[in-house]
Amino acid sequence: MDVLARFLVLLSAVLALAAAVFEDQVGKFDWRRQYVGKVQFAYFDTQTQASKKLLVATDQNVIASINSRTGELLWRQLDKSGSEGYIDATLFHGQDAVVVSGNGRFLRSWETNIGGLNWEMVLDTGSFQFATFIGVQDTVKYVAVLKETAISLHYLSNGHQKWVENLPDSETVTYQLVYSGGNGIVYVLGLTTRSHLTIIAYNLEDGEILSQVLVQCPWIVSLHSNCAIVGEGNLVCADSETRSLYTLALETGRTLTQVTMQSLDLSLEEGFQPHIIATQPNPALNAHAQFFLQLGPHHYSLLQLQQDIISPVRDFQQTLLVTFATTGDKTVAVVVSSKNQTAYNINLFSADSGRRLLDTLTTVNLTPGEGPLVKAYVHAFLKKDDSVGYRVLLQTEDDSLIFVQQPGKILWTREEALADVVSMEMVDLPLTGTQAELEGEFGKKADGLLGMVFKRLSSQLILLQAWISHLWKMFYDARKPRSQVKNEVTIETLARDEFNLQKMMVMVTASGKLFGMESSSGTILWKHYLPGIHRTASLKLVVQRTTAHFPHPPQCTLLIKNKESGLTTLHVFNPIFGRKSHIVPPVLSRPVLQSLLLPIMDQDYAKVLLLIDDEYKVTAFPSSKNVLQQLQAIASSIFFCLVDAEQGKLSGFRLHKDLTTEQIWEVVIPTEVQKISVVKGKKANEHVHSQGRVMGDRSVLYKYLNPNLLAVVTESVDTHQERSFVGIYLIDGVTGRIIHEAVQRKARGPIYVVHSENWVVYEYWNTKSRRNEFSVLELYEGTEQYNSTAFSSLDRPQPPQVLQQSYIFPSPISMLEATITEKGITSRHLLVGLPSGAILSLPKMFLDPRRPEVPSEQSREENLIPYAPELPIRSEWFINYNQSVSRVKGIYTAPSGLESTCLVVAYGLDIYQTRVFPSKQFDVLKDDYDYVLISSVLLGLVFATMITKRLAQVKLLNRAWR
Amino acid sequence: MWLALCTVFPTLWSVIYGFNEQDLPAVSGQPNGDRFKIEGRAVVPGIRAQDWISSARVLVEGEEHVGFFRTDGSFTVNDVPFGSYVLEIVSPAYKFEPVRVDITSKGKMRARMVNYIKTSEVIRLPYPLQLRSSGSPSYFLKRETWGWTDFLMNPMVMMMVLPLLIIVLLPKVVNTNDPEMRREMEQSMNMLNPNHELPDVSEFMTKLFSSKSSGKSGSSSKTGKSGPMKRR
Repeated sequence: MDVLARFLVLLSAVLALAAAVFEDQVGKFDWRRQYVGKVQFAYFDTQTQASKKLLVATDQNVIASINSRTGELLWRQLDKSGSEGYIDATLFHGQDAVVVSGNGRFLRSWETNIGGLNWEMVLDTGSFQFATFIGVQDTVKYVAVLKETAISLHYLSNGHQKWVENLPDSETVTYQLVYSGGNGIVYVLGLTTRSHLTIIAYNLEDGEILSQVLVQCPWIVSLHSNCAIVGEGNLVCADSETRSLYTLALETGRTLTQVTMQSLDLSLEEGFQPHIIATQPNPALNAHAQFFLQLGPHHYSLLQLQQDIISPVRDFQQTLLVTFATTGDKTVAVVVSSKNQTAYNINLFSADSGRRLLDTLTTVNLTPGEGPLVKAYVHAFLKKDDSVGYRVLLQTEDDSLIFVQQPGKILWTREEALADVVSMEMVDLPLTGTQAELEGEFGKKADGLLGMVFKRLSSQLILLQAWISHLWKMFYDARKPRSQVKNEVTIETLARDEFNLQKMMVMVTASGKLFGMESSSGTILWKHYLPGIHRTASLKLVVQRTTAHFPHPPQCTLLIKNKESGLTTLHVFNPIFGRKSHIVPPVLSRPVLQSLLLPIMDQDYAKVLLLIDDEYKVTAFPSSKNVLQQLQAIASSIFFCLVDAEQGKLSGFRLHKDLTTEQIWEVVIPTEVQKISVVKGKKANEHVHSQGRVMGDRSVLYKYLNPNLLAVVTESVDTHQERSFVGIYLIDGVTGRIIHEAVQRKARGPIYVVHSENWVVYEYWNTKSRRNEFSVLELYEGTEQYNSTAFSSLDRPQPPQVLQQSYIFPSPISMLEATITEKGITSRHLLVGLPSGAILSLPKMFLDPRRPEVPSEQSREENLIPYAPELPIRSEWFINYNQSVSRVKGIYTAPSGLESTCLVVAYGLDIYQTRVFPSKQFDVLKDDYDYVLISSVLLGLVFATMITKRLAQVKLLNRAWR
Repeated sequence: MWLALCTVFPTLWSVIYGFNEQDLPAVSGQPNGDRFKIEGRAVVPGIRAQDWISSARVLVEGEEHVGFFRTDGSFTVNDVPFGSYVLEIVSPAYKFEPVRVDITSKGKMRARMVNYIKTSEVIRLPYPLQLRSSGSPSYFLKRETWGWTDFLMNPMVMMMVLPLLIIVLLPKVVNTNDPEMRREMEQSMNMLNPNHELPDVSEFMTKLFSSKSSGKSGSSSKTGKSGPMKRR
């Protein structure tokens, strides 16, 4: 009983240590931004005039509804990530959004008001080709899904299958299009490349083949881009070789009618594949008779097909984008052309006549830093006077969405590039002008004594002035209600705060757009689009110079490695303003294997970046004479390690004075048995405060703090549940010595590893017990330290003691990271991203291999929690309370100026920034510190002493009189 | 150099009882095998389904399989191969207990409580799943607020204040002018305090108060009066 009681006391003491959020702290220093990803399909709900819904489906497998007035999310649903949840097609009708996803595996209908499912169907396997609505007698009733080998028809109301038919000759014919004009016949179009076109007509009611026509057309390549259905079931195709258009009536036609472009006065640009853009506003009716033909990158022509005759309506030169929009029975053509670098003109034309509609010109001025426009979605509506009004959603190459209202007012912008952040860094904000002046004072010395004194006084005066104005502002703000006092952060007012809690977040996204965000509010202060970066390119961001070296500007370098060519380019920029630096980076002619940021600096305080190419040659950036001299001096102590996961090879190299390299060790992990999945070193900016742990018997257990240690985790190639295993190797990166090796049997990935101080924590899936488990490794030198002044990998005769313990974790995880603080005094927590979107702050104390099974007096004194197999998950430990972060891809932790505080940014589909206090806020007064109470008690005490003093005097006087 | 001193604690007591489900593999089945669906319904008491389902999802073994809610709060997770899975409903506003669902290769379904320690223990739950939210999760810690009641209920303060009250109020409540009562009190006093050398606490207190109040007059005169009476 006594033991239990003590245990409970201990446990409660431990729990009090854990970080948590108080209710009044909500939104005080944390924020979340929700994104959807690159929009693939967008649709304006036009059911009612007042509807504000904008429905989107994106490449992140998200379907969402956005408030079109504010740009905020109404609801969002996430499918499985990766190809299994990939959205193939989206069709919108009324309140329903029909989505085909997973390469035609799922057919779902969403209720767009609520964000719930109407129905879900699993389709037969087969590669997805096309999906469309099919209507009968003016109403949309069915959804047709075309697969490689079959076509199926489903009821829109409940998803049930009406009929499914196998397509004839599907081995040779690729079917690509389905069309129905609402007359009870479903046409399926397929082609055999450079041979013939197949048109099959199905009866809508029972799926019976009514007719099957083969049309010879040896030039045909693809139906999707070159062809479209126009008017009353006419196929129109464009061919670049013969420079002509071909038409065919689906119902009656047997041969294609050729019309040369020349006869229509159209000139196709050399080497350009023509495109046809047509529209079918109502799937139950025929397609529109007008269509656009794209003749060049910026050249379109509006044509019409009536009575089998093609005639030009209007020509559009210097046009970026064209699209159709329909409201009521009016169909308009929307034409976007560029005015200058950042401004665009949008015009409306009547689709029937090609006449320009009056008062429809909109000029949009985009902020610099956006990419070029790629798509426009138009929401057209009828105004009271029966003229057409519209709003436009513009999409740029870097995925941002800009919603524009007439006349050219940008209602909102969504930076969807931030849904795919690849890498980020936090940079300290610069000093203010006055602070910088003060700093500058210490730099110069040639002013003489009197001048120095005068300068000192004047700068102090400036500081005083700044302080008074600060006080005045505080006083002024205090009178205003709290909601109004929102300090607008702009790039001009950026300044470091007292405790360095505000920083600049530099985010690198997969689309190649860079962002600078202010960390305390999430305001985007700058953005810079780097065109031409492929989405698969690997990007690495390094901070070469921080803001600490005034007047030198801070400097970041982005390494962009093209996946195909393997070549790397460098982009050097200022992280505070986003501007490209004038420093010319070296041109790298060979693929770079590894980059190292060395602690040595050049004369301008920029850290040296070493780049190792595939011939093991080293390039230094910056590479001034000073740097090369320094490099030569310390070359003997520079080692690096290359990992080739494909061949299972780890190799260590050393640097010679002439900047050549030499291989000194190699470890081969046989790829037939296991493959390397994770290699983790330690963070370079990590500090360890205490060298050891004081144990219950007053002896010290010294930590094995090897900065060169690498944790290498391997997974078995054999994934059978009985034979799969996970291996972990701790390898010294300088000598190649394997410090420790362990195998976890009946385990498989995904594996998440955190490596810090003297411990490694990893998480894996236990195939036997079907659960996730955490394992912790801690390394100790023992009770005596070999060399307490410095650590050398080359001089360590004794291997460290390794302790290990494992625990059950009652949830899968999506990310693992550890908190970090300025000096490493604060206890550490692990930040665990859960698939539910919560981020759990788990005290490292729970992952301590010295947790005893039976608590003893000594273990209690050390504050060790008795071993329990299962780690707890408490909702109080979720640092993001109900602000779930979907699909966490990375958690970035950075120390702040306060030892107690660690800045955390979780990014994935959403971005969430907060501060955590692993040992509570021990170095600042608490938020709820009761100033009123403490001052009233003090005042009360002062008064009480005064009164009692007076009373005592009276009493003494009385006694004297007695 | 390969021999590192390993001190690996035996951990993870995975007690295996006679596990009678040979047809239940731990890993999900072959990709081309039969696919099954998990069905169920979730309820948040007092809340309409359409108000909470847009932010909720059904996750099976992490994000391995995903299910969505229909507008009435029911759900189906399609395309699941046979195996054993932990099904979880994630919603930022409402808490649900996870459930383990076993699917045999023939498509037989069974739902049971999740127990990560004794993985083979079976406490059956109804299938199709019926999940009920146990309310909102508590995300926040309570601030320690300072109030007069907290101060007064503090045991130290109570220990100080209560005797004081007794000393001040008791003489008023008990009619000390009644001679019988006085006699009784004296008797009990003597019984309580057999050792006359020790200073009497109450006496000390009354002395203290009477001397203090002697400086003032009026309001404290009553205690002053009761003081000497008690002393007798």
